[in-house]
Amino acid sequence: MKQGILSQILDYANRANPYPLYEELRRTPVFHDGEGPYVVSTYHEIHGLLHDPRLSSDTRNRGAAAGDPLAGQEEGEGQLPPSFLKLDPPEHDRLRRMTNRPFGPPHSPRRIDGMREELRSIVKGLIDGLADGRGGSVGGDGIDLVEQFSYPFPVTMICRLLGVPREDEARFHVWADTLAASLDPDPDADAEQREKVTSSARMELGMYLAGLIEERRKNPGDDMLSQLAAGHGQGETMSTMELLSTAALLLIAGHETTVNLITNGMLTLLRHPDVLERLRREPRLAVPLVEELLRYEPPVQLLPQRTPLSDIEVCGVTIPKGAPMWLVLAAGNRDPQRFENPDRFDPDRKDVQHLGLGSGIHSCFGAPLARLEAQLALSELARRLHNPRLLDDPPPYRQNAVLRGPRHLMIACDDVRP
Amino acid sequence: MLRLVVDLNRCQGYAQCAFLAPDVFAMHGDEGLLYDPQAEAAQRERVAQAAAACPVQAILVEDAEASDA
Repeated sequence: MKQGILSQILDYANRANPYPLYEELRRTPVFHDGEGPYVVSTYHEIHGLLHDPRLSSDTRNRGAAAGDPLAGQEEGEGQLPPSFLKLDPPEHDRLRRMTNRPFGPPHSPRRIDGMREELRSIVKGLIDGLADGRGGSVGGDGIDLVEQFSYPFPVTMICRLLGVPREDEARFHVWADTLAASLDPDPDADAEQREKVTSSARMELGMYLAGLIEERRKNPGDDMLSQLAAGHGQGETMSTMELLSTAALLLIAGHETTVNLITNGMLTLLRHPDVLERLRREPRLAVPLVEELLRYEPPVQLLPQRTPLSDIEVCGVTIPKGAPMWLVLAAGNRDPQRFENPDRFDPDRKDVQHLGLGSGIHSCFGAPLARLEAQLALSELARRLHNPRLLDDPPPYRQNAVLRGPRHLMIACDDVRP
Repeated sequence: MLRLVVDLNRCQGYAQCAFLAPDVFAMHGDEGLLYDPQAEAAQRERVAQAAAACPVQAILVEDAEASDA
């Protein structure tokens, strides 16, 4: 094993294509270089661990400063308690169950289904907008798909869902960016300074949401914040602090990842013009295509915050209690032991049980919404953009190695169809 | 008409199908799944989304009039 493969994965120079590094990593299914995290990269092992109750998502179970380059970076909880993303049962289950109550079945089975028309109308408006103000030649100087489409679409939807005023986006955008970036290690940055910035962003976001929740208590709407604040939980209630943590989690997770899913999707389609053309003709292909995309280019590349609660053995390696672990979902998704021709993007692939949305009790809470958003976004872009092409390949990526995706995606097209 | 079979031994109650096709799949409590084995053709798109989203691929769909027309 080449020295420093984890540093290479984190190295921005490898952001556009980390997959050869993951291939190298899989040769040692449980990689540990002596002081860093235990890194698991093969499909079956990751899948098993995601269902293993001996693994904790609560980083407070970690031994002190165990040499994980991602450790400490995401500890900026400020004054807010951990969200259910970073909790174990029974607390995780209690909070997730209460959060699900206004979101999905059994209590709110039509929430997501009822958003379909709105999703369509927002996508339509944004694609119409790509054609505007360009003096005839669409994308003459290029369209940045991230700024003009992939970002505004899920952000608008999560705002509507939660009941956050869209016009406040400029305010929480900065905090959300800071918090997403906090997952990512920057070896050159001053760790203490970063933690301060993260902590203050989380605090400010919390204060902002507290004001909003107060407002929703007085004037409830049919949004999730109003319903969570009203406490529909049959004897179960969330404390105000739990409510703030949950709201912050949903607001951030609700768009950071979906932006990347949509952008990765369009990038992948533009690199596979035959598939793009098929999607244009058969919009229904979007359904299996998004599953394959979640396998091929998952927006969450790795889970850096699992910790064993006791010594556990994986592939003959004993991972000691309290040691930091990374589960590299994107590497498991390309494991040739699990998927035939794993580096091939094949929307017709059968048996595509990817790890892109996780698995087990922490599997992606917003998955149904993310899927609908990505399916609709990609099928409509394919249908309406005439002769779309990439202007910059590979595109510039965000710094983040965990929530990986292009910062910009410059494209051009000849026309925007009605 | 669509014919559906859900392998309830595989089903783990992720509820993804009940989010995406609520007229065909419903959750009974937090984990139990109820479904209509003979869904209307109008549900075709939603059922396809539901089947694809199942994390354990427990949903089998047979399209009795498998025409794209």
